[in-house]
Amino acid sequence: MKTLLKCTVNGEEHSVLADTRDTLLDLLRDRVGLTGTKEGCGNGNCGTCTVLMDGVPINACLVLAVEAPGRTITTIEGLSTNGVLHPLQQALVEHGGTQCGFCTPGILLSAKALLDQNPRLSEAQIRHAIAGNLCRCTGYGKIVEAIAAVAAAPQEESR
Amino acid sequence: MSDGADAAPALKVIGQRLPRVDARERVTGEARYPADLALPGMAYARQLRSPHAHARILCIDTTRAAALRGVLAVVTAADFPDLPVGTMIPMGELGYDMWMVAQINMARQKVHWVGQPVAAVAAVDAHVAEAALALIEVEYEPLPAVLDIASAMAAAAPALHEHVFTKGIEPRPRAPSNVCSRTVIARGEAQGALTCAPATARVSVQVDTAHQGYLEPQAVVAQVDSNGFATVWASTQGQFTAELMIAAMLGLQTSKLKVVPMEIGGGFGGKIAIHGEAVAVRLAQKCRRPVKLVFSREDVLQGGSGPPAAALIDIAVGAGEDGKLTAITGNYRLDAGGLPGLSPSLVMQASAALYQCPNLDLQGHDVVTNKPRTEAYRAPVGIQAAFAMEQAMDMLCQQLGMDPLEFRLRNAAVTGSTMPIGTPFPAIGLTTILERVREHACWRDPLSTGRLPRGRGLALGYWRGTSMTSAAHITIAGDGRPMVTMGAVDLSGTRTTMAQVVAEEFGLMVDDIHIHTGDSKSVGYSDGAAGSRVARTMTAALVEASRDVLTQLRRRAAEKLQCAPEQLDYASGTFRVQTGSAGISVAELMKATLTDGAIVGRGVSTKLPLGVEIGAHVCDVEVDTRTGLVTVLRYTAFQDVGLALNPAAVEGQMEGSVVQGLGWALTEGFDYGPDGRLRNASLLDYRMPTALDVPKIDCIIVETPVPNVPYGVRGVGEVPIVPPAAAVANAIARATGARLTRMPMTPERVLAAIERAHAVGKQSLR
Repeated sequence: MKTLLKCTVNGEEHSVLADTRDTLLDLLRDRVGLTGTKEGCGNGNCGTCTVLMDGVPINACLVLAVEAPGRTITTIEGLSTNGVLHPLQQALVEHGGTQCGFCTPGILLSAKALLDQNPRLSEAQIRHAIAGNLCRCTGYGKIVEAIAAVAAAPQEESR
Repeated sequence: MSDGADAAPALKVIGQRLPRVDARERVTGEARYPADLALPGMAYARQLRSPHAHARILCIDTTRAAALRGVLAVVTAADFPDLPVGTMIPMGELGYDMWMVAQINMARQKVHWVGQPVAAVAAVDAHVAEAALALIEVEYEPLPAVLDIASAMAAAAPALHEHVFTKGIEPRPRAPSNVCSRTVIARGEAQGALTCAPATARVSVQVDTAHQGYLEPQAVVAQVDSNGFATVWASTQGQFTAELMIAAMLGLQTSKLKVVPMEIGGGFGGKIAIHGEAVAVRLAQKCRRPVKLVFSREDVLQGGSGPPAAALIDIAVGAGEDGKLTAITGNYRLDAGGLPGLSPSLVMQASAALYQCPNLDLQGHDVVTNKPRTEAYRAPVGIQAAFAMEQAMDMLCQQLGMDPLEFRLRNAAVTGSTMPIGTPFPAIGLTTILERVREHACWRDPLSTGRLPRGRGLALGYWRGTSMTSAAHITIAGDGRPMVTMGAVDLSGTRTTMAQVVAEEFGLMVDDIHIHTGDSKSVGYSDGAAGSRVARTMTAALVEASRDVLTQLRRRAAEKLQCAPEQLDYASGTFRVQTGSAGISVAELMKATLTDGAIVGRGVSTKLPLGVEIGAHVCDVEVDTRTGLVTVLRYTAFQDVGLALNPAAVEGQMEGSVVQGLGWALTEGFDYGPDGRLRNASLLDYRMPTALDVPKIDCIIVETPVPNVPYGVRGVGEVPIVPPAAAVANAIARATGARLTRMPMTPERVLAAIERAHAVGKQSLR
């Protein structure tokens, strides 16, 4: 069954016709056309589909599309502003924290949620915050370094 | 960090720690993988998979599925040509048997494992496709299944394939066998030398099947135009191998097919063969719409992809009182899964390669079982074999009362020493690596103390890698900048390191180079990205292509500057006459010769000397003797990379590879039920390391250039997965006295091994 849904993604309002069986991940990828959010497992185990819902990192594959109205959703496409990379994105580029790139969007959103809450972070806190995001290429070291570099940097910009 | 090879001073761009040229699209979500594509009118496909580990397919009735509203096409094996055994397509030295590839993609007559595809459906959406699968009626006659190596090799075992007779036995056996091949590598009198040796060690290990664990499930979009030309957007390690496979499976001419490699969300060996690509094309032909096929994670794990091989390996080693090895014997039995696998020859050689030893007796068996057909995983079978061999060496050191590093130094293979295959080693830096280990804090520092027992382990790794063929071409844009098209897929930062090579050749910056991977119709044939071959061989191809371009440009520049080509010097994008001040930049030259036709420089590398990989790993662990939990406290990987094109990329390969090794070492193992069904077919139950499970991996890069290879580059990405399990096992043994012979070394297995070691200890006290 199809249903009309209104949702706010990255500050933009969308009205889309969705299947009631769609997950938020299906909604974002197939209905809104934001394919930066990836599907690695479809049952909440790998974290590749992490997006922010009202600022909280969630697995988009575990939320139904019909739960989206009234919530504020941030995806990887909403992280940079006018082509300027978010400091976390810039740090991941510089530190070699992205390889195949499939886990990267989810990792960035988990890290953003953490930094928004707590800008001063220990390595253990960073590792804990991204423990729900599997990465198979990097071994995590360079990702942790990149996030730590942003956490240690002066806080002039809003994140 | 780098040793600084002698070629270093002249290099400006190669050797720089530069960010990936494709990093920006990855961090913004712009990078496109096949599952991200949506074409107008696109249909969605799903595959029906076998519920049986071994069964005859008596009948498939698709009538009801085809009649479901929204279903556009249904295919079974009847929609594909019946390829005979031995229909080969090229892939390096070995090639692929298309009979096997076809079976992996669509079972015919029999199913050989749970999860093998038997039919596929295309429908207007994925929900309808899924619903249609339930309407396909397959009648099976279940057959007795064999699920592990020992039962497959037992005399009473049913022969799984009537056409498989053990290769490597003379005269040819009369009865079919589940042992597909037997390989022997022997020199001297190993059994005799072992009997006489004053110190010996023996170990028998069992390694469970694991998975490459790429985060992107297999995905493909196929479109066939009204002239019958098919375009396939794939997540593949090799667009040309995929093209040959798809063409053979469909009986399609390759001129009617183009494979476009999209970004690949990890491959690690598991995306060399096709998995569903040809099926998607056939569906697209039948329903006259583009078709998208995306695997679920359960599809990937439950028989839809090829995991690496399980193994049973026995090793015995002997040495004199002086610590000199006198004998190595080994019996390697590898589980190929449901169809014949690779010859164990390479890994047998690899596991013994780093030791000079006069007497060798290695035997290998490739065994079929009713499990998913295995495929490569980063240094295929290297970690399994090292888990046995490097533990045996460690046990021998304990027998001898010898430091494991000194033991390795005493027996280390050196440049020119005899390899297991009998030929001399090309330039290798094993001794240099071992000396670096000896000087390093990770080896010199005393073990930190804690509440729980701690231990330090050392293990070595060797991987041969391969060369095969890489092709590329370079054109020059109107502004004078090089535009590079490579035939190899970028798995490991290839675009970045190869942009560095081209920038070096042209005296430009990386930002001046545009580089991409071509589809199978826009660049010369290249083998797949596998076997640690791409960086080295593509470097050779691009050096050739760059020089070809410069020769062509020089001719044009000479004409413009009215001099002979050899009177010109080239540097940093400009040709200058050696005498006088006249010169012309490549940008000006291209503008001036706009109507003279394209500049196309071509390069191809084939059969380049190997760039063998060698590593030594040191690992500190803590073992909770009440729970069996092993924590890796510190991990240092030393590796000879020939020359690091980009140290950050090299470290990235090493760190990722080590962590994959630690995952298999400690938590990753397939758990098959008695019916051949995988019981942990999810990423919750199949447990890959998270950021909390591993420490930072320290990487020490050593550079011993390979002779006769441009810039002396070696392979990098495979060998770091070889030593980790053995390094951890050796550290556990040093911490607890317990030897772990089953991998992964899960807490319950560690606990059982500790209890066994205590029981033996008590017995010997009596």
